[in-house]
Amino acid sequence: MTTNKPRIAIIPGDPSGIGPELIAKLLHEDGVREAADILLVGDGHLWRQGADQAGVSLPLEAVAEDRIGLQAGLGWLPMETIAQEEVQIATVSEASGRSSLRCLDKALDLAVAGQVDGILFAPFNKAALTAAGMNAEDEHRYMARYLGFEGYHGELNVLDDLMTTRVTSHIGLKDVARNITAEGVEKAIGLAEDTLKRAGHARPRIAVAALNPHAGDNGKFGREEIDILEPVIRAAQDKQRDVTGPWPSDTVFLKARRGEVDAVVTMYHDQGQIAIKLLGFERGVTVAGGLPIPIATPAHGTAFDIAGQNRANVGATRQAFDLLVRMARTHRANRAAA
Amino acid sequence: MTAPDGERPVALTCGEPSGIGPEIAAHAWERLEGRLPFFWIGDPAHLPRGVPVREIADPGETASHCATALPVLPHPFPAPNRPGRPDPDNAAAVIEVIARAVKLAMTGAASAVCTAPIHKKALKDGAGFAYPGHTEYLAHLGGVDRVVMMLACPGLKVVPVTIHIPLAEVPGALTPALLRDTIRITAAAMARDFATPGARIAVAGLNPHAGEGGAMGREEIDLIGPVLDGLRAEGLAILGPLSADTMFHAGARARYDVAVAMYHDQALIPVKTIDFAGGVNVTLGLPFVRTSPDHGTAFDIAGRGLADPTSLIAALRMARDMARARAA
Repeated sequence: MTTNKPRIAIIPGDPSGIGPELIAKLLHEDGVREAADILLVGDGHLWRQGADQAGVSLPLEAVAEDRIGLQAGLGWLPMETIAQEEVQIATVSEASGRSSLRCLDKALDLAVAGQVDGILFAPFNKAALTAAGMNAEDEHRYMARYLGFEGYHGELNVLDDLMTTRVTSHIGLKDVARNITAEGVEKAIGLAEDTLKRAGHARPRIAVAALNPHAGDNGKFGREEIDILEPVIRAAQDKQRDVTGPWPSDTVFLKARRGEVDAVVTMYHDQGQIAIKLLGFERGVTVAGGLPIPIATPAHGTAFDIAGQNRANVGATRQAFDLLVRMARTHRANRAAA
Repeated sequence: MTAPDGERPVALTCGEPSGIGPEIAAHAWERLEGRLPFFWIGDPAHLPRGVPVREIADPGETASHCATALPVLPHPFPAPNRPGRPDPDNAAAVIEVIARAVKLAMTGAASAVCTAPIHKKALKDGAGFAYPGHTEYLAHLGGVDRVVMMLACPGLKVVPVTIHIPLAEVPGALTPALLRDTIRITAAAMARDFATPGARIAVAGLNPHAGEGGAMGREEIDLIGPVLDGLRAEGLAILGPLSADTMFHAGARARYDVAVAMYHDQALIPVKTIDFAGGVNVTLGLPFVRTSPDHGTAFDIAGRGLADPTSLIAALRMARDMARARAA
């Protein structure tokens, strides 16, 4: 019989950034250690570095890999991914990138083996990952490839109770309109619904943003709303799904802020990112949506400008942890039922 | 705060009388109680009952009456204002009121024009109004070719370079001349109307992460960057092209006085997210000061006492402040 308490693997992120400090701070937040069994995956000196930077104590209780399932509370799976003298604070380095990837790989292995129910990672440095030979555009694609996962997946941006997905992402604005397809919109809606269900929402309420100003104003400023978005939304409504829109994108985030919807499906990168970063620059969370394992991270970066100075704000990391715990709980229950 | 002696009043148009224009004018007067002298141009019969009205023959009478009644420069309309149902017979008068307000501002009788929302289709159907909107008609009345729309709320002024066009057409509509003229008009207006000479102007990129060195679109490198370099050489204080997603949070906004966005929603999302109710629409580049609330006629709630005058009050206040800056 397993308990309903999920087991979360936490990895330190880029050793040169604020990751280790953030995790040390997170572990001293109220309620964190009670919410989950936590397995720190990484080098002992990195966790000690984080505790020193944060000015807190962090007892490391080593757990053997074959005993992880028996561990309760806070445990540590020792790794040797980087020598202590190789860690250069606030510097992009191949050694730091390699360390990040090896900890991530190990956490993914543990999740695939069912030894942990979710992964929280502190920020990676993209340049360091690339220097270390990451064979993908970003960490989300890297994780999908590592897991051999070929289904639809994508980054979700979360701020407090608002989640956003996007139909197009890192492409030029001139390419956006032609990439708005019924299939793409349906997948982005589905990704939001699926992720919200995993986070405990029985019937997620999804608002779909329009592409054009004033939602096209009845076709005067563009027809994508009429030709593509409305049919997809109607089809979803016919299946009793709580999907509405297309809403003018300048006011759809206010609906979300008022708590009227759980997620906004956006058409392009800046549509959602402008609102999310404006509403809570320090609290945003990124979820690796669609992957078979719950994975979350704070939306901000490694913050080399303040690394090692005990100035990092733990807010986003805490939000990422809380969301991950909800998703990991569902994941654990589903596995137990399977 | 009371108005300085001799300050000319703001002219407020009635807009589409079947929308919320008349009632928000009355509510704005009730809230302002004469502290911000303005007069309303329209048919007194269209105003909600219960609000004291003082008909005036000349804007100069505003100051003597605005503390006790809403000063109204009467402009008779042929038909009543049925809420939510614009009467084609009233269309010509709606247009005349706008022209009258502009004339009063151009001749100096009014300090500025503040316009209540119109309904373009009603004006087109009823009077053959050929302009795409208010702004184009005002440019015609003011005798200028190019004007610029600015949206303002507390903490942010932002100017979209392209406005009411499909997103797919934005990259094609974005030309060096349009971008250059828009920024020049913006810089001049910041100095003349907002008492901010040498304004710091933050310009957004078009693409995610401002193109990230050409990886996600080349407009920043090929078009926006060179235009900005040229404007810097003219002495303007320009930041950018910046990544649009990180330029609108409070910390970022402290680093500039006005933002320039490449398309409608890039400008409107931050404005509405910061302050949904208090946004103001300003037209830059006209020979007179013009502001308006940034909402529409709201036919769905017209005549039901639900309309919120917050944006109109902000628009009146901004018109007054801009006129003062222009007069200084």
